[in-house]
Amino acid sequence: MSAIDRLAEDFARLPGIGRKTAIRLVFHLMKRPKEEALRLSGSIREVADTIRPCERCGNFAESDLCEICSNPGRDTSLLCVVEEAYDVGAIERTGQFRGVFHVLGGRLSPLDGVGPEELSIPRLLDRVGSDAISEVIVATNASVEGEATAVYLENTIRPLGVKVTRLARGIPVGSDLEYVDGTTIAEALAGRREM
Amino acid sequence: MRLSGLQLRHFRNLGDQELRIPAEGVAVIGRNAQGKSNLLEAIYYLETFRSFRRVPDEQLIAFGEDSFRLVACLVGCSGDVSGGQGDEIEVAAAYQRAGKRKKVSVEGVEPERLGDAVGRLSAVIFSPLDVGVVSDGPGLRRRFVDIVLSLNVPGYLDALQRFRHTLAQRNASLRKESPPDVVRAWDGVLVESGSRVMLERLSWAERWAEAFTRYYQTVSGEEAAHLSYDPAFAIDRADLGRVEELYRQALDESARREARVHATVVGPHRDDLRISLAEEDEHRDLREFGSGGQRRTAALALRLVEAATIRAARGFEPLLLLDDTFAELDEGRSERVLALIEQEEPGQVILTAPKESDVKVRRDALPRWTIDAGCIQA
Ligand SMILES: Nc1ncnc2c1ncn2[C@@H]1O[C@H](COP(=O)(O)OP(=O)(O)OP(=O)(O)O)[C@@H](O)[C@H]1O
Ligand SMILES: [Mg+2]
Ligand SMILES: [Zn+2]
Repeated sequence: MSAIDRLAEDFARLPGIGRKTAIRLVFHLMKRPKEEALRLSGSIREVADTIRPCERCGNFAESDLCEICSNPGRDTSLLCVVEEAYDVGAIERTGQFRGVFHVLGGRLSPLDGVGPEELSIPRLLDRVGSDAISEVIVATNASVEGEATAVYLENTIRPLGVKVTRLARGIPVGSDLEYVDGTTIAEALAGRREM
Repeated sequence: MRLSGLQLRHFRNLGDQELRIPAEGVAVIGRNAQGKSNLLEAIYYLETFRSFRRVPDEQLIAFGEDSFRLVACLVGCSGDVSGGQGDEIEVAAAYQRAGKRKKVSVEGVEPERLGDAVGRLSAVIFSPLDVGVVSDGPGLRRRFVDIVLSLNVPGYLDALQRFRHTLAQRNASLRKESPPDVVRAWDGVLVESGSRVMLERLSWAERWAEAFTRYYQTVSGEEAAHLSYDPAFAIDRADLGRVEELYRQALDESARREARVHATVVGPHRDDLRISLAEEDEHRDLREFGSGGQRRTAALALRLVEAATIRAARGFEPLLLLDDTFAELDEGRSERVLALIEQEEPGQVILTAPKESDVKVRRDALPRWTIDAGCIQA
């Protein structure tokens, strides 16, 4: 296999990239100055060498602990559970959350062979049992799987005497009511608050 | 709503044709195996993007070709059948064998989800296959109600899809013999979506039971038949909160059986529509005790209820597609069903028949077309 084919194949293994796009990317890189390709390969190498899962929460980290876990200013009694490490970024960008995280590494999906043991749930229960945690906020996605994962966590954690909450769901900001699906509107209605 | 134009390309044996459809409809006459049912199949495809004959899309592509394409021009989708110019919309569908690609568009724009284009064309098809809905297992009856409600009740399709997805996950969990707390994690969404589905089915059956009996009896001229919803567990009050409560209870009670058979045994996937003959307070299941003609009569009554549902939900007359439908009824019944259609269904009618003398609906008002080896001629 030629070097070109090898690179195209590597690109095609990435999510959202098909064969045709992979080949386009390779040819694009070869047309550009060599430094650009080297910088890209350098960035990939750096991420691969330095980034690993945080030992405590599973977030992306450059050392044993991620920036959030090693920040003494964070409120460690407030634990937010998310499906994937990139969800941490989404919540961090709001600037509204001062607690710490736990990354599950997926969601329950028996059809894909994913049960509680395939996720970082045993580790989560350890943390809830040993650290001084007053509230667990479940921030899984609003999909059927995210919902089932949240229910499972709630039923497993609540007996440990820790408060469990779920992110509220509703109409996305900036969207017109007429374009929002019925399930979302029904949920927003059920979760309405007094003004 | 009516169909004003239809373009066909490589759909079954229909070749490459463009048809202008008269406002009142048309009677298409042709010998057996010339493509009459294929034409109605093409029209109905533009409603649900599936064949009413329940065959895979590949089979619809003309022999030797690798794709088909259909375009319908519709008038009066907003309920105004007279339809000004601005009211016309175009619905198109194409299917390609390579890559199994289906492409659907409304006014040239591909919708985000296929479901958003479903039901723009609004037709009710009466076909000899319908008798299966009455005489076969409950699966076909659930399919019938699901299609009618998906097309006419906002939110139904959404709830149904969520239910099916959750059911598949929960059953996978049961198959793996997961601990009960893992299985029960799916119950919340299962109950919420499943109860919605059951409640809509129940309300629909209750709302139209009387009309069904009336349609049936008008056609039969004698015996009466009844339509009712037969849920997997008894529902005593048509209220969402109550159905959810009962569904939870039913799940609790079936836990042991579920563990034994490794599947969810209660819910809308186990419901049925019951169609029965009523004779002096005694209800006999038509599926078991009905004659061929009685089953056909019940199938017709179901289609008439479907048309009435569309009229009530969407405020316009659906297009009626009659595929050589009444051939198998005795004289009295076929005359009465025709009278009923004349009287209740003032919308556009496209009917097919093997010979001129079989054209009985609007005998004088419908233009005649012929079809020969797929070629349609006005
Ligand atoms: N994919 C296909 N490509 C080409 N021709 C096809 C295809 N599928 C079916 N046909 C042809 O279509 C014809 C049957 O058409 P259709 O079922 O519409 O007949 P019909 O006019 O309704 O007949 P009947 O009166 O017996 O119901 C057959 O000749 C069959 O070979
Ligand atoms: Mg036919
Ligand atoms: Zn961390």
